Amino acid sequence: MDRREWLGMFGFLVCGPALGCKGYQYGHIIKPDAPNMVGSHEAGAEVFDPLVDEAVAKLLARQQTVTPDTPCGPDGLPCPKTICFVGIENKSMEDIGDFKDKLYQQIDSRLLEASTFRAISRRMVDAALFETRLRPDSLMIPDNMRLFTAVLERNGAPLDYLLYAVLTSGTTKRNSSTQRDYDLTLELVNVHTGITDKQSAEVRKGYHKTAAGKVWNYNPFKR
Amino acid sequence: MSEFAAESTFICSFPFVLERWWFFACTTFRITLACTVCFWIGSQVGCSTHAKRLATPRNHFFDGRLDECKKGLEKLSKSRHDKDVVNLDLAIVDLLSGKPKIAEQRLKLARNRFEELESESLTEKTVSMWTDDQVRSYAGEDYEKILIRAFLALTNLLSDGADAESYTLQLQAKHEELVQACAEKTKSNTPPTYKPLPLGFYLRGMLREATFRDYDDAIRNYEAAASLLPHCQPIKWDLNRAKYGTHSQPGNGVVYVFALVGRGPYKVEVSEQPTSDALLIADRIVSAVGPYKLPPTIAPIKVPDIALPPTDVDAVAVSVAGATIGPTYSIADVGQLAMDSFRANRNAIVARAVARRVIKKATVAAAKETMKTDGLASIGMDIAGIAWEATEGADTRCWGLLPNDIQVMRIETPKGTPSIQLTPLRGGRPVGPSKQIDVTVFDGRNNYVLCWFPDARNQSQVVIAQ
Repeated sequence: MDRREWLGMFGFLVCGPALGCKGYQYGHIIKPDAPNMVGSHEAGAEVFDPLVDEAVAKLLARQQTVTPDTPCGPDGLPCPKTICFVGIENKSMEDIGDFKDKLYQQIDSRLLEASTFRAISRRMVDAALFETRLRPDSLMIPDNMRLFTAVLERNGAPLDYLLYAVLTSGTTKRNSSTQRDYDLTLELVNVHTGITDKQSAEVRKGYHKTAAGKVWNYNPFKR
Repeated sequence: MSEFAAESTFICSFPFVLERWWFFACTTFRITLACTVCFWIGSQVGCSTHAKRLATPRNHFFDGRLDECKKGLEKLSKSRHDKDVVNLDLAIVDLLSGKPKIAEQRLKLARNRFEELESESLTEKTVSMWTDDQVRSYAGEDYEKILIRAFLALTNLLSDGADAESYTLQLQAKHEELVQACAEKTKSNTPPTYKPLPLGFYLRGMLREATFRDYDDAIRNYEAAASLLPHCQPIKWDLNRAKYGTHSQPGNGVVYVFALVGRGPYKVEVSEQPTSDALLIADRIVSAVGPYKLPPTIAPIKVPDIALPPTDVDAVAVSVAGATIGPTYSIADVGQLAMDSFRANRNAIVARAVARRVIKKATVAAAKETMKTDGLASIGMDIAGIAWEATEGADTRCWGLLPNDIQVMRIETPKGTPSIQLTPLRGGRPVGPSKQIDVTVFDGRNNYVLCWFPDARNQSQVVIAQ
């Protein structure tokens, strides 16, 4: 056995087991200011976080406007509006999986943080839906609305507004590249007057089969 | 002439004869040693496959002797290479023994272990090239990875149901990941033909519908399940209810009967004859024209294959308080999934077996070259090489206690404790004794029942959610 053969054999014996260690899984904490991972096949935190931030901020800004009709408390400040966040409807092309409940909690928490609104607990909303066996999308029917608000009032949660969140998407295809526009719309309905306020936010995202797809489709020379 | 005479005298001299004898003895000893080692490896590796070891516990299981089956499986689980896969079988035994929590723990362990083993060990890969695939840690077939998540969801529903939704999401995600990985491995633009299990979509739709709020999710999932089962009428009813109705009428609850039907797929060892024949021709050509004489491919190349036993039960009739509701319908054709996913990966298994043979032949040729053997010694080494190749066994490790089909039936019934009767059917006719159970139904809630009819002659094991 010459020197090269010996070295080859030695290298194989030493490095083989080291390279052959099975892949374990590792975890790490992501710093709050670190950017989100960008999903390669569908929307993730990089899309939903800004959507929620923008849509809720727009809605709060609009609802904080005080008009002469705005009911005020004894201290002269506008009374907080009681809202029932019914839920999120996913009408986008993608299945959002475990993001749905996360989005609900994110929106609910943001609304609670603002003094403009007083939100009804999700558990009470669920209990009312369970008791009345009403579908969330059928609450706009007057009889259903009366029944639903009556149950909530009986449970000690009278309400002024119903809030719906709808996630939609639109897809544009160009050969092997795709652009998908994600919209989150918050729709606030006054149960007493039927007047609606609506705010939405949009995030556009491109999906490409090749790394050059982004540069090819989104360069300054393209119209 | 005098030189020749001197040489002849020298050749016939005693020390030279002794030296030749010593050389011959050493060579014979080496060959004998090599043969012994090969046969020893053979006895350790190739002679007993997992399929053979699992046969007895499997028979006990299908005969309803769960305790004996468990004892047999626990013995098997002591082997380092069988431990992970036997854990899956033990999970099924625990589930049907009415211990869904323990079953869930075992399945979670197997899921995590298989995830770890997805990146291959180079050491094991190298060793397997000198022995066979049975020395590798078993990382699970694609269909097993999908079914682990399906059974995790079912076991969780039978205990507290807190994580069932997560498991259904994991099931769908895993399927997509495996299809993607398979397409990448085969460098194909078209993904493998095996379809996702409707079970995952159905379970998720079922759970979302039960929230009384997320009907849009239920619709999406029922639509996906209906597209996979276009001829299944009950799924269309579910879809219609999710679109226009509600989970249940006031005062009613829902019972879901999950029926595991038939004996499921398992692996057997088969000879890959066309490849063996091709390799024999190839090694004869190389031996004839090349500088090396290779041992002939006499021992056939052995690979695993999926066996699907015939089944005499194809559905379960459900009656509530004497009123016939209807037969269960399939939401997961386990046998078909196993066949499809195995077929998608079969070429890789055969390629590995061929590569192993080539390495073994090259090793024998190199040994012959180093030892400068010829004549009888060369034949001896060829025989040792053939014996070495014959020691290979196919890796038949698999989840052996699976049903052939997972079926479901949804029953909306007034709250209370109705009596439910389950009867095995074949072609719509009862083929075995019925099983009667009492299930507590709560207003507006789902309750779950799981039964397994492996064949007509055996009484089903029934588990009711706690």
